[in-house]
Amino acid sequence: MGPANQVEMSIPSDLVFERVVRAAAEEVGRQMGFSEEKLADLTLAVSEAVANAIEHGNRLQQEVHVGIVFCMERDRLVVRVVDQGEKGEQPAIRCRGITEETIEQGELRGLGLYLIHQLVDHAEFSTSEEGNVFTMWLHINPRDERSRRQER
Amino acid sequence: MIQMEDRGNVAVVHIQMPSIDAISALQIEEFCGRSRKITVLDFHQVAFINSAGISGLLKFIVAARKRGHRVYATNVSPHHRKIFKMVELSRFMPIVEESEISQIQ
Repeated sequence: MGPANQVEMSIPSDLVFERVVRAAAEEVGRQMGFSEEKLADLTLAVSEAVANAIEHGNRLQQEVHVGIVFCMERDRLVVRVVDQGEKGEQPAIRCRGITEETIEQGELRGLGLYLIHQLVDHAEFSTSEEGNVFTMWLHINPRDERSRRQER
Repeated sequence: MIQMEDRGNVAVVHIQMPSIDAISALQIEEFCGRSRKITVLDFHQVAFINSAGISGLLKFIVAARKRGHRVYATNVSPHHRKIFKMVELSRFMPIVEESEISQIQ
């Protein structure tokens, strides 16, 4: 038995299953009453965090699972993504988008964390007995509240 | 699935998949080298793009630039306009309305 406001998932480290989590994130966001814009932000942020955990955390070892927990609180959604990568290996956050220089240097990837930090209210990396934990917080704003009332 | 349509000087590449992510971006990467002098990527059917998808698009743009070709985007949703601006992809792939395509020189 788990808390009534919590959705938990566990997926093999295969990028195909990132799509499953993405679909779940959208549904959870709808249940929270997020606006369409915020739903799109949530879905993208979750996609990026899960893809990072699969690729950089669990290094695409399919038998190693990524854990995802959506915790629906009264005024915010908390999403935790857990991988079994090397403990404390905090990924570097790119501090800029695409520039002529990044193209010159062949840096065509690595925008995931940059995007997450632009899209969610807060995100942080920690380690625990479970593994490496990446947590994201998305607050419900007045626009979401309106959308939630209209749904009811 | 990706389909290319010739419109005179302009090639319009219709990206016929709902999601451009790590898996589907490979199809776009396979299209690198098939750009024309002016290539417009049509996002009408695309509902989701993540950073792996952006990376695939960027590879296409870089390959096109090396051949002296220009790449534009059309039918981009408001959310994707925001994301393209956020990562500054729109600097390298300007967004045009579909009605403007025939006027691109």
